[in-house]
Amino acid sequence: MINAPTHASLAEVTAIDTRGRGPLLLLLVAAVAWLVLSGILALIASIQLHSPAFLAEYSWLTHGRTQALRETAFVYGWAANAGLAIGLWILARLGGSSLRALNWTIMGTLFWNLGVAAGLVGIATGDMTSFALLQLPRYVQPLLLVAYAAIAIPGVLAWSGRRMNRTYASQWYIIAALFLLPWLLIAVQSMLFWAPVRGTLQAVAAGWYAQGTWTLWLAPLALAGAYYVVPKVTGRVLPSYEFAPLAFWTLIVIGAWTGGRHLIGGPVPAWIATVAVVASVMVLFHHVVLWLNLRVVFSGTGNAIVFMRFGFVAYLASGVLAAFTAFRGIAAFAQFTFMTPALEMLGLYGAISMFFFGSIYFMMPRLTGQPWASGALVVGHRWLVMLGIAAGIVALVVAGWIQGAALLDPDLAIDAVLERVKPALLASTAAHLILLGANLLLFVNVLQSAWAGCRANLPAGTPFRQPATLEATAS
Amino acid sequence: MKNAPLFFLGLLGAVTFSWAGLVLGSHAQLGKLGPYFDEAESLSFPQPVSGLAARGERVYADLGCAACHTQQVRRPGYGSDQERGWGDRQSVARDYIFRGRPLLGDARIGPDLANLAGRKAGAPKQEELLRFLYLGSKTHAPYRFLFESREIVGQRSIHALEFPDAMMTAPGHEIVPTERARTLAAYLLSLNQSHVYPEARPVPREEPATEAAPAAAEKAGKAEEKP
Repeated sequence: MINAPTHASLAEVTAIDTRGRGPLLLLLVAAVAWLVLSGILALIASIQLHSPAFLAEYSWLTHGRTQALRETAFVYGWAANAGLAIGLWILARLGGSSLRALNWTIMGTLFWNLGVAAGLVGIATGDMTSFALLQLPRYVQPLLLVAYAAIAIPGVLAWSGRRMNRTYASQWYIIAALFLLPWLLIAVQSMLFWAPVRGTLQAVAAGWYAQGTWTLWLAPLALAGAYYVVPKVTGRVLPSYEFAPLAFWTLIVIGAWTGGRHLIGGPVPAWIATVAVVASVMVLFHHVVLWLNLRVVFSGTGNAIVFMRFGFVAYLASGVLAAFTAFRGIAAFAQFTFMTPALEMLGLYGAISMFFFGSIYFMMPRLTGQPWASGALVVGHRWLVMLGIAAGIVALVVAGWIQGAALLDPDLAIDAVLERVKPALLASTAAHLILLGANLLLFVNVLQSAWAGCRANLPAGTPFRQPATLEATAS
Repeated sequence: MKNAPLFFLGLLGAVTFSWAGLVLGSHAQLGKLGPYFDEAESLSFPQPVSGLAARGERVYADLGCAACHTQQVRRPGYGSDQERGWGDRQSVARDYIFRGRPLLGDARIGPDLANLAGRKAGAPKQEELLRFLYLGSKTHAPYRFLFESREIVGQRSIHALEFPDAMMTAPGHEIVPTERARTLAAYLLSLNQSHVYPEARPVPREEPATEAAPAAAEKAGKAEEKP
């Protein structure tokens, strides 16, 4: 039912997309809003590293709290909302019918975001837990669990009610993410907050959870987007697709065992670190298969594929570097330095977020039935975000390298170590400024596109798929 | 993966497997760890944490101190922890059994604090610590919100901070640490890992000359052959 040439971009939009438009756009707008907020907090935290007195008079912005706020807004604000939007959409498309029970998603989204907001206020006013990736005060965690389950209901229905019996890699990864996060949260909450385990066992449980959020939740959501978008955009069948289950199960079964990476040399049983080394190397098998499957990403053209390519390279690099830094000889040097935030940035920003950006650039025009509101903003965001991430990682790696070497020299006082790292930290602040600018561009573009998509009441339902028309509008 | 129940069981199994292995495994090993009774001193270690220090631990956690300070000394020879005077032995699990929320930390932007009060160089004085928290340094933010400046009415508070430079305070005013500041200082001064448990005794460093060992073995062998 394409009546006018201006509606050419409708070619690929079907009822499956239009039904879910409202709730999925809500998730997306919330995600990008949190991304911008987290960018502001990251900038403050980064400035505080080289100018400690910055905003020091405000108790709710001590460096520890800004770090926790940034991390929480990024993971539970941006990544959770964006990953769920992408996941639900892909499940609907691969399931072959539009999403059902979307009221649950709307309510869940509202309460999830209220919960994250309440959690941030809690962190700022003194209820943070000080466990990495689990800084949210314990009183919002049950709310988040329920809200997450509510958001996930349409996804599970789309999976169980799928038209075809066979399944795709994207579906496995999303279903795994939908189920595993609540399980992880329940297990870790009970062991840390409701019936705390003794002494350093808390560090083991927290490390297991922190690694789980990465390997069992965020990485699967990001990879699902890649497995869906890459063959669509490149127009090629994924090579060696029959090995994809091996990659999936390697990540799921072995991934969480790498949780002891950060406890090397610490007051925990030594076998925990040893198991982490072995597991980090075994998980590399997952990366090898992923390379076999997704290497076609280097052949396509278009906007989404550029993000996917960046994310793919960063994902492989983060796997290799995680295995590399898990070894004790290297940890003696790199542990406790800025190498840790550098690797975190490579993983969470370079890999996960870039996969998400790629998926969003592919998904948005199909959801709204309109091209992106501004092509210039798309291009601006693409270049700035790539520049910002690359510069940020390089700056932190350099900082970590200098710091690691200086810490090993006992004659150098700890203050002098930080003085040496200062230039690299200034560069890191500049990178965060670029990233904030980039994400503001995305925010404006998403808002405009979502607004245009909500206003236009488009007749959808044509089953024709012409990826080229939409891809052209997005690049 | 067509079989949904099997797929679901696989997911559950994978998570349970890693959880049981890492968390329950270490719990089985350390969950019942108790204090160590030193017969020479007729005291058990680690010593229980005072109520003030236990409250200070919460302040430490909620201000996010763990973002820049670790609390885990690595063994002598692994990193420069010993040379920096942070501790002569490795931190072990027993050190933390009375801590409500041990925060090991993963960044050393500031010094390690695990053994702050048990260092060879001596524990800092409470007054010094509080003054440092108030004034900050080139690399540490001043936490003025942990203190209140108030007018002196009658006698000075016994907790009021003394400054070498009288210009630091407004005339007729004194800087008094709040309760949070005092509990935080009490907590920091309770961090002591100087008692050496049997499992924490540093392993003597290996002889630097690796060739000496085979040579010695050869000598021993020859000595055996001779008779």
